[in-house]
Amino acid sequence: MVEAFAVASGKGGTGKTTSTLALGLALADDYDVTVVDADTGMANLLFHAGLADVDVTLHDLLLADTGASVSDAVYERHGMRVVPCGTSLSDFRAAEPERLRDVVAELASDTDVLLLDSPATLASRDAVLPVVLADRTVLVVEPTIPAISDALKVQEYAASYGTDVAGVLFNRVTDGDAVDRVAEKADRYFEGPTLAAVPEDDAARAARRAGEPLLAHAPDSDAARAYREAADVLDVRASDADAVADRFRSAVVPDQP
Amino acid sequence: MTPVSFSRVVEDAAAALELALDRELTGYAEFTPQDALLLEDGGAGVLAFEAGVPTHVKHSGSGRGGDAALADLAVPGPLRVECYAGGDPPVPETDQFAVAPGTPAERLAGDADLADRTRAAAPSDRAGGGEPMDAVEAFLEDDEKIDAIRERAREEATERADEWGFEEFAED
Repeated sequence: MVEAFAVASGKGGTGKTTSTLALGLALADDYDVTVVDADTGMANLLFHAGLADVDVTLHDLLLADTGASVSDAVYERHGMRVVPCGTSLSDFRAAEPERLRDVVAELASDTDVLLLDSPATLASRDAVLPVVLADRTVLVVEPTIPAISDALKVQEYAASYGTDVAGVLFNRVTDGDAVDRVAEKADRYFEGPTLAAVPEDDAARAARRAGEPLLAHAPDSDAARAYREAADVLDVRASDADAVADRFRSAVVPDQP
Repeated sequence: MTPVSFSRVVEDAAAALELALDRELTGYAEFTPQDALLLEDGGAGVLAFEAGVPTHVKHSGSGRGGDAALADLAVPGPLRVECYAGGDPPVPETDQFAVAPGTPAERLAGDADLADRTRAAAPSDRAGGGEPMDAVEAFLEDDEKIDAIRERAREEATERADEWGFEEFAED
């Protein structure tokens, strides 16, 4: 049984990768969690998860004739499975995107929660694909006008392709009281509940520098606590693993950039 | 020596800075203009980044720092960007080499939107309160504006469903 979430924001800089790993770690207390760097054009997750030196990444699975099996690119870290992307642009160009569907389908068949760290843009087909494929999307949004506008756009794209909003995560919050008011007003427009307001926290920066997920690096930080609250609010709905796998397998092949 | 974590040629400085911002680069990046004919003394720009926001800049050709280094680096055309995530920047972290968060986007790319977005991501801006929350609240009270944003996005999504071959997912 599996539910696939795309963790998305309309633009970069919202702390999406930090949030993906934090939610993954928090959910891993109750579920088998697999986190995938679905932003195949801009490897990022590996730096956050201490996987910068690994040999086999998702890109190897997308290349013809490498002989790598899916399990070779899956790393057990912090109680969850992590599938990073590599940084080689030539590998990315040579990658055959149709293989991505099969890789993700295989991962979906053997986990409870699949978190897809999605590209921070709506500008291309491969960037939108994770949102299309997921059951629901988690919107990571800073409490600013451009970020909220972008998150609304992602919501509408998602809805257009049959993907619901699981919740809205306000991130990098400096004024908690004001954000409570903002969240209350934003609630009228977003289809999912507010999951949490995660405070701006130096611990997040320190974790990134250390190459560790925030919840592993600073589990008692204010931000870590807020992410755990968010994971509690997120009601994971198990859907049939075979159906999810089929959906990935039947998805269209994205363009090369 | 920190290994290069990312390397690609991009069409212009805006793309290079956006790359660093979107991947929340903490470390440094080298920007090497590809059109060597336009370069008098050659060299690359080395930019220190904190969570995607440029903080210090040095030009390796002229040795100058800060805004002067940006002037030396302001060459139109493609750039090779090499990112060193987690690397200690080979740029002195002093006032002479410091740049304001939005300045590289303005001087190198002439991109006001990107400059705004970079400023919004800068910690100092956050510490100072960033965008006033009452402006965000006022925005959220403007139903008409928000409905227009949503409607436009839905139209785009539908158009692109066709273009991208997502018809089978698109909902009426």
